[in-house]
Amino acid sequence: MVSNDALGLPVVDALALDEPVSRLLMPGALMRTRNGDAHVLPRFFYQVDSWHDALETQLTPHFGLWELMDVDLHEAAPLRLFPRYVPCAVTSLAAALEVFRLEVGATVRITANGGYRSPTHHGSRSGSPHCWGTAANIYAIGGAPLDTEEQIGRYAAVARRLLPFAWVRPYGHGPGEADDHLHLDLGYVTTIPNGTSEHHDGGAAARA
Amino acid sequence: MTRAETLQATLASRASEIAAGLGDGALGISVFDYLSGFAWELNGARWFHAASTIKIAILAGLFDAIERGRFTLESRLHVRNRFSSALDGRSFRVDARRDADDEVHAAIGKTMRLGELARHMIVRSSNLAANLLLDLVGVEETRVALASRGIAGIDVRRGVEDERAFEAGLINQVTADGVVALLRAIRDGRQFSAGSSQAMIDILMDQEFAGGIAPGLPEAIRAVARVAHKTGDISTVSHDAGLVFLPGRPPYAIAILVASAADASIRTGTLAAVSGLVYDAVAAAGEAA
Repeated sequence: MVSNDALGLPVVDALALDEPVSRLLMPGALMRTRNGDAHVLPRFFYQVDSWHDALETQLTPHFGLWELMDVDLHEAAPLRLFPRYVPCAVTSLAAALEVFRLEVGATVRITANGGYRSPTHHGSRSGSPHCWGTAANIYAIGGAPLDTEEQIGRYAAVARRLLPFAWVRPYGHGPGEADDHLHLDLGYVTTIPNGTSEHHDGGAAARA
Repeated sequence: MTRAETLQATLASRASEIAAGLGDGALGISVFDYLSGFAWELNGARWFHAASTIKIAILAGLFDAIERGRFTLESRLHVRNRFSSALDGRSFRVDARRDADDEVHAAIGKTMRLGELARHMIVRSSNLAANLLLDLVGVEETRVALASRGIAGIDVRRGVEDERAFEAGLINQVTADGVVALLRAIRDGRQFSAGSSQAMIDILMDQEFAGGIAPGLPEAIRAVARVAHKTGDISTVSHDAGLVFLPGRPPYAIAILVASAADASIRTGTLAAVSGLVYDAVAAAGEAA
């Protein structure tokens, strides 16, 4: 286990976590999208020891870690207990959101289940980037709900302009569309912080 | 004629007079007194649009799921205003302007505990909370929960504000006998733990809408009665159903269902008038017990 200097959170290799948690996080497993593409799930996670820690950890000036790890009962019970684990790529998501936030100039609210959720979360569809911690569902900006085509379309255009590497879900009522939030994601990004080894010998922790 | 038969005949006569005042409307009444065993109904098996009385069934379905270990009252649920129509699966939303409760709408995007949602669904008749809970528990699971307790006369088909389903005739319905059976299952703890039974009664007890049961009680009785109940009102129906707790005796269960195109004040007046009649009969039956 190593600590990330900036955040002060331990970084863990989920392959070395106890089985009940590791099995649910599925580190390094292949997850297939609806169209059959396969992607490797993240292996390195920040360990968050308490909700207080989540509340106190600022990823960027405007986004706290808690906003990107708030889940409901659709997440398996062991993953709702502390310590909890969030893929390290969540920092990249927060950075992208910060750019977006600065452009819109208003509070950006992420829904529950709208940041990281595990691949075993009941709301995690095949290959959802939420399982990489690289997707966010925004339900309100500046206090106004995003639940109309006009609102979602306007902010989707901002996101596409600012974040050309991101994917924004189109407005609509069908599969692959959204009508009560703005979904944006960075794709299947994984992050391996400096000081972390990808060698896995079955030991109990990632090593510097 | 026994005393119970006399009471029933008197009730039937006076309730029929009240029903006649509804013109083309309809009145359904069912009552069961735990002290005397007195039971009576008028059109007890007639189906009515359930309006918000269906939320008692959703409450029972939630607690059935809790009994089964699916979740707890402390479990948190994402508050989202997006539901699938029971008719065709297309999405619909609960109109905040037509919802009696705004606190759940204010929590959209966040999470709320199931216990909080249950309270909002009953106490302030939150349509959004009702749909969230029914969506979570499941329509079929709720129907099974009722059937497994021998409760007929409650037909849960969909969430509230599902306009496309409504227009297609897919509606939640109840009978007065069915609602009383449900209230008795809750009070008796039928396949519910004592804790769940009491929790449901406590939630129903905190009802914020006056309805017609309590207002219909004699003033002195109303001052000491506690009514665990749920109202239901739409443009053409007004219902009230609950358990009436009086000092020094077990409760009685009552369901009064009114359908009428007349002014809402006439329907609520009918609820109160019937409540008063039923109280008189229950009190008389209790004295003889």
